[in-house]
Amino acid sequence: MVTEHQQWLAQLEKKSIEKQEQFMNDIASKLRRPRQRQAPTQPFRGAPDFWTELEWDEEKRIQAFTDNFVSVGAHIARVKNMEEVSQFIANKSRELSARYIIRQNEQALKDLGLEEQLPEVQISVWNSQADENWKARAAEADIGVVMADYATAYTGSVTVLSSPEKGRSVSLLPTVLIIIIPVHRLYTRLGETLDRFDEVGRENLPAGIHFISGPSRSSDIENDLTIGVHGPGIVYGLIMG
Amino acid sequence: MKVSLFITCLSDAIYPRVGEAMVRLLAAHGVRLDFPPVQTCCGQPSYNSGYWDETRVAAKTILEAFDDSDFVVCPSGSCTYMIHHYPELFADEPVWLEKAKRLEAKAYEFTQFLVQVLGITDLGAHFPHKVTYHPSCHGSRLLGVKDEPMALLSQVKGLELVPLPFAEDCCGFGGTFAIKMSDISGAMVTEKVDHVKETQAEVLVGLDMACLMNIAGNLRYRNEPVRVMHLAELLYEGVRTG
Amino acid sequence: MSQPGVMDTTVKERAGLALNDDFLRKAVKFTTERLRNGKKSASEEHGNWDEWRERGRQIRLHTIAHLDYYLNEFVNNARANGVHIHFADTSVEAAAIALDIAAHKQASTVVKSKSMVSEEVHLNHVLESAGIEAIETDLGEYIIQLAGEAPSHIVIPAIHKNRYQIAELLSKEAGEILEPDTTVLAGFVRKKLREKFLEADIGMTGCNFAIAETGSMVLFENEGNARMVSTVPRTQITLMGMERIIPSWTDLEVMATLLPRSATGQKLTMYMSGITGPRRTADADGPDEMHIIIVDNGRSLQLGDPEFQELLNCIRCGACLNACPVYRHIGGHAYGGTYSGPIGAVLTPALNGNIDEWNDIAGASSLCGACYEACPVKIPLHDMLVYLRRRKVEDGHGNKMESMGMKGFAAVVSNSKSFSAAIRLGQIGQKAVVRNNGISLKLGPLKGWNNYRVAPSLAKKSFRQQWNKLDQELNEKQRAMDSSVRSRMEQIIREREEGEGKKHGH
Repeated sequence: MVTEHQQWLAQLEKKSIEKQEQFMNDIASKLRRPRQRQAPTQPFRGAPDFWTELEWDEEKRIQAFTDNFVSVGAHIARVKNMEEVSQFIANKSRELSARYIIRQNEQALKDLGLEEQLPEVQISVWNSQADENWKARAAEADIGVVMADYATAYTGSVTVLSSPEKGRSVSLLPTVLIIIIPVHRLYTRLGETLDRFDEVGRENLPAGIHFISGPSRSSDIENDLTIGVHGPGIVYGLIMG
Repeated sequence: MKVSLFITCLSDAIYPRVGEAMVRLLAAHGVRLDFPPVQTCCGQPSYNSGYWDETRVAAKTILEAFDDSDFVVCPSGSCTYMIHHYPELFADEPVWLEKAKRLEAKAYEFTQFLVQVLGITDLGAHFPHKVTYHPSCHGSRLLGVKDEPMALLSQVKGLELVPLPFAEDCCGFGGTFAIKMSDISGAMVTEKVDHVKETQAEVLVGLDMACLMNIAGNLRYRNEPVRVMHLAELLYEGVRTG
Repeated sequence: MSQPGVMDTTVKERAGLALNDDFLRKAVKFTTERLRNGKKSASEEHGNWDEWRERGRQIRLHTIAHLDYYLNEFVNNARANGVHIHFADTSVEAAAIALDIAAHKQASTVVKSKSMVSEEVHLNHVLESAGIEAIETDLGEYIIQLAGEAPSHIVIPAIHKNRYQIAELLSKEAGEILEPDTTVLAGFVRKKLREKFLEADIGMTGCNFAIAETGSMVLFENEGNARMVSTVPRTQITLMGMERIIPSWTDLEVMATLLPRSATGQKLTMYMSGITGPRRTADADGPDEMHIIIVDNGRSLQLGDPEFQELLNCIRCGACLNACPVYRHIGGHAYGGTYSGPIGAVLTPALNGNIDEWNDIAGASSLCGACYEACPVKIPLHDMLVYLRRRKVEDGHGNKMESMGMKGFAAVVSNSKSFSAAIRLGQIGQKAVVRNNGISLKLGPLKGWNNYRVAPSLAKKSFRQQWNKLDQELNEKQRAMDSSVRSRMEQIIREREEGEGKKHGH
């Protein structure tokens, strides 16, 4: 059954498709040539060649990532394995007197065993059941725990991809953000991660791809830097491996 | 070999000593400049304000003056750069367009000529003073004149070069801008002179009399005893007295 | 496009107000210096900056030259992702479409992240007139929204406000006195806007880049509010200038390298988000429904115009504002439009398609070229300002006095005889007003000049009057040219004739 709203959207789409032809034809006519319907050859695509050759060894990648991350007010801890990650999170949680934690619904994060380590803390698992207001759970959380899908040493950034099990809100709404960064996912250049999205193609992209390079900040008031405006103000990166 | 002087209307009417210094300095190195009197003005004032017909009138005197020169030397980066607009101005006039393209290839700002063409950086000048340098916008940004004046200044004996804070900031001249937007221009030149004062230099040196006239005007208005000179004048004085 | 009532004043008058506002001048100077220095360090540290700029320029030029292809690809791909695409020729249409969507969703509150296009189309005004609360969530935009003012800088919109003014505004909103302390004020805004993010019906964003090959949109920010408004509310509306396209994700690396460094000196903004369609069915956040409104509003007028098409390369970084000495002295409001600084001086008349209305904006520049030097995609704004001035004259809207003056100028410079005669006349005429080789008279055209300077007098003898004597004198002391110098010069002439001459200028 088609609702009124859906009917309206369908009408708009019809109008839009008609307008599209007109819009593009107008562009072509202003450029004084027929419509370009085939993909033109890009004479220059992506970063300059000398840049794509840049590749650092693991030690340098870790050092650069650390320096960049710390320089913007985030924190780095070096951990060997998931046991140490678990310890770190548990300690931090007690230190900050956290009452609510939210984590992504991933096996690796389940294996951290946070529920056992922190029985006094309410730990939510993103989208682990229906009929729960997950955005509210993320909003009330003191700590959000995510695992980086990729990371970039040159800019000190992590990349997280959304999915039914991995909410965008988990790395955005809590006050504190803890990101686990497996060292084998840490690359030198931003392009190494960006290229993947071209490779996998449109249909395989998630709704949200988020690059996070530190705590939320603003200098809008008299150029005075303040941390934690809308996103998490306290960010920990755990480089693991 | 015909090496001609493009004096610029400003130096012609107000600062002839700049032209004289250039001519004498180059003569001492065996390069005799000639002066085709047909030249009047490069046309910048009208060009910048959007009056291109009037600009073409001025430009034609320049194109005519230097038609058969091998090299053209000019004591102003902005006037030299103005020549690079001539092909655009004469796009529809093939005879003048051809002259414009040829002139573009053989016109040099003064320090470019000394360093790039003659290969000279040391003129044997002695100028024992504290000096600061203002890089004019068109010369440095658009014509790319950055290393040449530095190379020349570094060879002047006894000269103490003090960096000018925010040197690359525009002095506020901009031609008719200084008249039409006089308060904004005034604010800019005031700031420039504040920076000159910070250096405590005795001499302000530059490559463009338009900028120097502007800055000197504010210095004088504020009774500041800083001497303002074109690099050609400084070098000539340094050679004459050195 | 313009603020209400702004047409009644000229740039000169608005600039005058700014020049007399000490706090504004200090604030603008401090901010632009900080950002300029940041850009300088960041670009130097990164290295090969000019090569990156050229790369960015080439990618943008190519995309704009084939905009019908790439925009079309973007639209088809975005639609395939489940996005509803709309086209707006004018600002009125864009606002109307947004209002239509909001009305259909029966929205009472809209939360907005930074969007220059939404300012351009006066969206907030349209929404509010329809009884819909539209809340700016970027800290600086939120502040000026409370103050009822327009942004004065593309990146840092509220630099013209001091902390006391901000504390006053926010205290009113809070219903209690807030200390004029950044942490306290920002803390209040975080808390207050949190509520709004969570209860809002619609989230609205701008769009930094749109990737044609996957139909994705990209947002750069530091606060997190753009992520908020595109994650929490159930409906998302994005306003996008039609020229914001890049072909692929790999091209995004170039933009991500140029934009943050040019804007604030950062390697990357704290958040860079690539959004590809509304939430997937099983996702538990992200909008259910996503709309992108593609806005023309004068952009297509630049296509096919060899003097202005490059304007569409702009990535809205604000580097030109920070480099501009005029902007530094007069701030953003003096420009009178949505966009300020050098880009605004060209964009406003160009988008409006008429130079006459914005007659003096292009005049507020000394043509120093700092904007061109700063631009990460090498837009020749300094040339475009001259083109605008020329078009105004060609349209017959030139200032009458100035036109007469220029005709006089042309008469004087048309040949050396009239030029010499004019100089001689000046040398005689100035005798009455010259004192110590200077002219301080503040009369007529000299007034503006001599308010800040002492004008020089004409030399007693012009260069051309002295030439013959100088030439003769040097004839007597003839010195031969050094042979190595001669061969250098002959070599240069040879290379020039063969067309291999090294380009010694720009």
